[in-house]
Amino acid sequence: MSETTEVPTSLGRGGVEVELRSLSRFFKDTAALKSLSMRADPGELVVLLGPSGCGKTTALRMLAGLDAPDEGTILIGGKDVTSLPAAKRNIGMVFQSYSLFPNMTARENVEFGLRVRGQRTKERSDRSSELLGLVGLSSMADRFPHQLSGGQQQRVALARALAIKPQLLLLDEPLSALDAKVRAQLREEIRRIQLELGITTFFVTHDQEEALALADRIAVMHQGRLEQLDTPLAVYSNPATEFVAEFVGTVNRLRGTVVDAETVDVELVGKVAHSYGQALSPGSRVQVLIRPESLGVTPAADEGAEVISRSFLGASTKLSIRNPAGDPIVVEVSVAEAAGVADSAKVRLFARGEALLVRPALP
Amino acid sequence: MATVTPDLQRGGGPGGEGSNVLRLGKPFRYTVLILVGAFFIIPIVASARFSFLGNNNSFSFAAYTQLFGTPQFWSTLWLSVKVGVGTVALTLVLLIPTVIFVHVRLPRLRRVFESVSLLPLVIPSVVVTLGVITSFRNLPNIIYGTPVILALEYVVLALPYSYRTFDSAVQSIDLKTLVDAGQSLGAGWIKLLRFAILPNLRAGLLGASILTFAFCLGEFAVASLLSFTTFPVFLVQVGRLEASQAVALSLIALIFTWIPLALVMIVFSQRRGARRGVGVESAIEAAVAD
Repeated sequence: MSETTEVPTSLGRGGVEVELRSLSRFFKDTAALKSLSMRADPGELVVLLGPSGCGKTTALRMLAGLDAPDEGTILIGGKDVTSLPAAKRNIGMVFQSYSLFPNMTARENVEFGLRVRGQRTKERSDRSSELLGLVGLSSMADRFPHQLSGGQQQRVALARALAIKPQLLLLDEPLSALDAKVRAQLREEIRRIQLELGITTFFVTHDQEEALALADRIAVMHQGRLEQLDTPLAVYSNPATEFVAEFVGTVNRLRGTVVDAETVDVELVGKVAHSYGQALSPGSRVQVLIRPESLGVTPAADEGAEVISRSFLGASTKLSIRNPAGDPIVVEVSVAEAAGVADSAKVRLFARGEALLVRPALP
Repeated sequence: MATVTPDLQRGGGPGGEGSNVLRLGKPFRYTVLILVGAFFIIPIVASARFSFLGNNNSFSFAAYTQLFGTPQFWSTLWLSVKVGVGTVALTLVLLIPTVIFVHVRLPRLRRVFESVSLLPLVIPSVVVTLGVITSFRNLPNIIYGTPVILALEYVVLALPYSYRTFDSAVQSIDLKTLVDAGQSLGAGWIKLLRFAILPNLRAGLLGASILTFAFCLGEFAVASLLSFTTFPVFLVQVGRLEASQAVALSLIALIFTWIPLALVMIVFSQRRGARRGVGVESAIEAAVAD
């Protein structure tokens, strides 16, 4: 990416409010979506995050009008668009696979939506120039898709989606086919453009890092249901369910005993703070979910957990540890702290943060 | 490369045999090429030579001049061309929406349609003809008593060639995503087909059309059973009376089929070449840009 330009004032529009009400979709006996309800504020970027088959792409396709819900309502800008065909929704969409029309140049692709709307050549040309400039591809306007790299193709697809001045932008895993470096770069660009245009955007991904980096709010989905819709920080540090805790980031599942309403005693770790708010009486056996960075290590004499291996992550080090029962524990500590314990050494764990969740122990 | 080289040297196994053939080098490959070429070309050259033989083995255009002077030559050729064009048009009208619909909306039925398209290959044309005669007997005379019935029949009989050619072309593009992208940009089906889909299926459409047209130009059994004197039927009739004219006719039929094929191949190879020329530079730049 060699060129970037400021967003022309003509591109700024502001976003619309989007609301999904009790959307359900069934494929034969399988429910792809189960009564999904959520709302996106004007100009907000909501990331739909979840594993394959969780219904995130189905929800996005329904928003686009490419699939119809069996039950429920879709409101865009306060208008019910549930039965409106895709061609009449004025929604820009970028797909996972390269979706540029192979017979058209980058410029012709960007102009396609304007062409089918009957806009004049001069207006189309001005608009495509603006948008190709916005995505930094002015010099490649006359190239065909097969003459562009994957990243460039997705930039053209983004420009094409924005050319029609959509009221809503949908991105269906647009970065998943790209290599890590291009993915990170394009992710930043998408966010920059989205913020500058202020367009309400839904972004589908299964990559938690992508979701945390991009989103105003993350909608974590699992088996067709919405597990949690909240800010990246809240989803990471205050997950609503065990699934969210385990899907977004790494989590350790340790055994413990309830001490009081705000404290649990975790095996090998000691007392850990947590406001679990559940009716668990002191002395109850529980499972404690805790992030690797909420744990620390100190060398131990003979007893304790054993360091199995370590991964250097740059700013920190991830230690793989095994407790005496043989269960794995992952701890992420500073490089200096990790240097204090050797491989195969016995260590003691301590808490430097709160537990994420406390659940009754399985019988 | 390091892992491939030992396999080539060892030979043996399924891959080894292929490698041994490759190692026989250019002389072997050229020999095979010449033998295969000779297998196809010798009969054509011999036929051409025979068609130009006059009295006392002299060189003569007599067979051709007599043919071109026969009114039936032109009328039967015109009939075959008309039936061919009609068949191609009808095939495309049926094929384009069907294949696109199956790919976009009913992908699970693709195998079923493929199998059905092959049926004309396994059902003898006599059976198909009798079926058509029986089924279409009550249709108005504009269809039943005219070459239109021939075109209807050829649409079915040429299906193995037309369907598979077009289907392969559709498979070579991500049709569903292109349709989704076009619709999300506001295009209805007609604009989508006109601007975005059909231009990308041009090769498949041309291939299916040429194969169908060539089939129509060479089909004898059905036309004969339905009592239409098409070009191939005329060819057989002439063959019974004058061998050199029949051979000349065969060559003319071959040329009529080859000319459009060659034209299409030339046009497409030039386009590919032009695109590839720009593509090499662009691919390098694109790789650097990312």
